[in-house]
Formats: sequence, structure tokens, C-alpha cells
Amino acid sequence: MKKRIFSLLLALALLLAGCNLLPDAGARPRELSESSIWAMDTQMDLRLYGDTDGTVMTELTATLNRLDRTLSATAADSALTALNESGWTDDKDIVYLAANARRISEQTAGALDITLLPVSRLWGFPTDSCGVPAAGELEALRDNVGMDKLTLTDESVSVPAGTKLDFGALAKGYAADLCRARMEEAGVSGILALGGNIQTVGTKPDGSDWIIGVQDPNDTGRYILTLRLSGAKAVVSSGDYQRYFMQDGVRYCHILDPETLAPVRGSLRSVTVVAEEGLLADGLSTALYVLGREAGTELWRQRGDFEALWIEDDGSVWVTPGLKDRVAEGDFRVIEP
Amino acid sequence: MKTRYWALLLGAVFLVLAGLTARQFFGVKPAAQAQVWADGELVRTLDLSEDGEYRIESAEGWNIVTVSGGRAAVTAASCPDGDCVRCGQKNANPPIVCLPNRVSVQFSDSGDLDGVVR
Repeated sequence: MKKRIFSLLLALALLLAGCNLLPDAGARPRELSESSIWAMDTQMDLRLYGDTDGTVMTELTATLNRLDRTLSATAADSALTALNESGWTDDKDIVYLAANARRISEQTAGALDITLLPVSRLWGFPTDSCGVPAAGELEALRDNVGMDKLTLTDESVSVPAGTKLDFGALAKGYAADLCRARMEEAGVSGILALGGNIQTVGTKPDGSDWIIGVQDPNDTGRYILTLRLSGAKAVVSSGDYQRYFMQDGVRYCHILDPETLAPVRGSLRSVTVVAEEGLLADGLSTALYVLGREAGTELWRQRGDFEALWIEDDGSVWVTPGLKDRVAEGDFRVIEP
Repeated sequence: MKTRYWALLLGAVFLVLAGLTARQFFGVKPAAQAQVWADGELVRTLDLSEDGEYRIESAEGWNIVTVSGGRAAVTAASCPDGDCVRCGQKNANPPIVCLPNRVSVQFSDSGDLDGVVR
């Protein structure tokens, strides 16, 4: 009996030794290349494995810079600004994004709305001159707001005068999709941090999972738990802790509720979505934050094409069952299927 | 007696290796260096073992990065919200990010995190 215990312990010890001491055994060496750029109002960090001649990195950088120039709502010479001034565009990126914005909006009971730019400006978020506007001023904008203001064809987008679009809730997810497609085509793996959005592609050189920390809304210098993910995954968070202002003791976050035209209020601090498609993960994270945890979990039950993680103001963390075994570190509760 | 010796030895080996493995999957070790980025450019690499104070200029403003006791912090900044200053002293990712000034402090060799979603 004792011999069996010794044998078992020895076998376990050898197994663990193998895990630790020979992590790269059998793995093909893949060259690491890293780059950082500033685009879409945020820092983007690209880490690629196997991009031997740097071609893919160059192409990804060009793609991100192109989208930055196209989708900026503040740059005077962007295609989006041209649409917001003229009311029409045939820019392919914008047509694609607008069609997908409508798709996600329809699937989330209107919780995603890309026509809220004038409202956001009235609250002062784009210019960091924040304050609570008068109710009358907000209501005056209501006629210009709503996804029904978009007229879409296969090749163009048009909006009436006064309606302005902003793809802030989708652009980085879309960028991640384009980058991932190019990387997969070239056989390059890696991880992209597009601002706070994470996109994993392929596997790490040693074959282990990607380890992704989820930022703690109550202490943004820390992460509240970590997720172990494999393959191509988009991970996107929306919350009240990145861009907000305080007035009279009330926190006003930059995510606006299309119904009230005011910052979302409630007990939810953040939502993180994990999905195959970056654009979907990006759009859903905003929509789920607007909807709140109860309506969000109901949406998850209906769809089943994403996983999510909610962090409440009491510090509790709720995860969908698909993430249950992916949490490598941290406490959480599991949503009922 | 001999059997007990071997049991203790094997047990100790098991615990050490189990600890190493747990560390591999769960742990975060302090970084030796921090990289400071401004406007998408790496502007300074800081050795966290050397105390010092550094003024980082970007197109949008300035941040003071202070290294002390093996940790880095943004101790003052021209940004309107001050989120970067409130991050406090750190020696591991997630990075300290100042969105208004386009400045970030990232920590290298800080454990096994591949990224932080935020």
C-alpha cells in the first residue's frame, strides 16, 4: 500500500516537473514581434508570433491607422465626419459597421444606439467638459436620435440633417476582426490589446492558454480575476469606471441609455463579453451594460453565441457557465442556464 | 524509519513542484522594469530597483512618474480626471493608463498575464 502511495506521489512529482521544467518541449519556436501605436484615441499593443519578416505587423498597423482616419468622429477630414456633415457616405467600413450596428441594436431591444453623438457632446464626454445638461436641452435632441434614422443600402448609409453617428462602441471590435482575419490567413498567432479590448489569435508558442486579467472596477490598478482562453477570442469590457465625471456625489459614466439619453445608472460596474466575433463582443458589451445584469442574462439565454461576466457594485462577480471553467483566479457566481 | 524519510522527501518534492505549478498558472510576480509610453512611442524604460522621478511629456500634457521601493506610480499629472494618479504604486500589470494625456506605464515580466481587458 505504502509503495503504491510512493509511486503515485513520484508519478505526480514527475508530471509536475514535466509541466514546469519542459514547457516548450515539442513546441516550434516562433519569433515574437511587438509594436505599439496610438489609434482610435487609445494605445494599441500588438504582439505577434511567427511574423518572420514583419509583413503582417506592417499590414495590421496600416489597417488600424486607416480605421482611425476613417472612423474618427472628431477629425475634420474623416469619412465619418463627412457623413455627419453631408448625411451620406459610401465608405465600405462605415456601411459595414452601420449594418452591423443595426443588427445588434435589433437583437438587444435598442440598447445599442450609434446615433447618440450629439447627446454625448451635450453631456461633454468627447471634450472632457462634462456636466449635467438641462432636461429641455436633452429632449430637444430626441428627434435626431434613434437607429430608425439610418437609411441603409448595400453600398451606402444616409442620415437626416442633425443625426450624427459614432462607432465608438464597435470600431475597435471591427478592427480586431480585420486584424485577426489577416493573422489567420498568414498563419500568425498573437494577442492584440486595442485599448481595453483584447483579441487572441491562435495559440501561444508553448501551446498554453492565453491568460487575460479582467480589470477591477473598484480598483483599476488591479484585476479582479483572470480568464484562461484558447484560440481566437475577442474579450471586451464596458463599465462606468473608465470615462465618467462626478457631480453632487453622483457618478455619471460615458455610456448613455438610448431611452433616457442619460448615463446608465444602476448597480452594475462592468460587463465583459467573450465571443468569437470582435465586433459582436464590442457591441454586446455596451448593450449588456445598458440592459443591466437581469436583462443581459436573459439575452445570453436566448442567444448562446457569447459568454459574459458581470461585476456588481457590491464586488460580486457573475459569469455564464461557459466561463466557469475558464476562471483561473478569483471568486465568482455562475448564472443559471 | 527509512520509509518515513522517503515519504517526507517525496512529500516535500511534491509540495514544491505543486507550488511552482500553481505559481505558473495563478501567480503574478513583480516586474523588474516598467516601460513608459507617450503618444504610442516608448519614451523611457525604468529600472524599478532605482528610485527616481521622471517627467513625461506628451502632445496632450505631462505626467510625473515616480519609482520608489520597487514600484512605479504616476504621482502628478496635467490630465483633468486624475485616474492615473489614483492607480497608486504598482509593480505589475494592469498598466497605469492616462487616456487624456496618451501616456501609459506598462510592466514587463509581471507574471503570466497576456493582457488585461478593461
